[in-house]
Amino acid sequence: MPERKLIATLRALHSGGVEFILVGGLAAVVNGAPVDTFDIDVVHSRHPANVDHLLSVLEALDAMFRIQPERRLKPNASHLASTGHLNLITRYGPLDLLGTIGRDLGYQELISHSPEMDISAGLRIRVLDLETLIAVKEELGGEKDRAVLPILRRTLEEKRKRSP
Amino acid sequence: MAADDLTDLTDYSPDGVDLTLIRWMLSLTPAERLEYLEERVNDIIAIRELNART
Repeated sequence: MPERKLIATLRALHSGGVEFILVGGLAAVVNGAPVDTFDIDVVHSRHPANVDHLLSVLEALDAMFRIQPERRLKPNASHLASTGHLNLITRYGPLDLLGTIGRDLGYQELISHSPEMDISAGLRIRVLDLETLIAVKEELGGEKDRAVLPILRRTLEEKRKRSP
Repeated sequence: MAADDLTDLTDYSPDGVDLTLIRWMLSLTPAERLEYLEERVNDIIAIRELNART
């Protein structure tokens, strides 16, 4: 099994000019929450120009749907323009592209809650803030989401103590 | 050291979250947090592979 290349995946999206917001477990980690996660969740802009950029990067990463990797089903522009979730596998590991999260929150709705953060040398991307991450997980209310909420809430409390 | 002495050396929230771990994570930069996770994930994969072969 190849190594997971989390940073390389994000760098590929960024270098390809893709507008996206890092969400999910990785966003929690970047915000300081000690949680484990194995995949990358991003909300991408569904603007046609961005979909084109994203398709080029996905082609370079040899992305295909995880559900039946033997069929090598590749995402197309219609998939990327939808509000749904695309569970992909790339040569760098799993990558989930989310048209929306929570109650129909897309890139445009989330951008004001997603400050840019330096996550590697020369790599500055938008990351969903902890407050919104918690709100989305509270709304969804699934077992997996509820399990991580105590850690996210305590991390937010500690962050606020540090920068009142 | 008596077991009770550990209460001064740990810090858990009422819902069981290890606050010392959170404070340690917050002491890192966002880039360092991501690097740490990437290393951890790859370590876990290596351990899984090792055990899959035995």
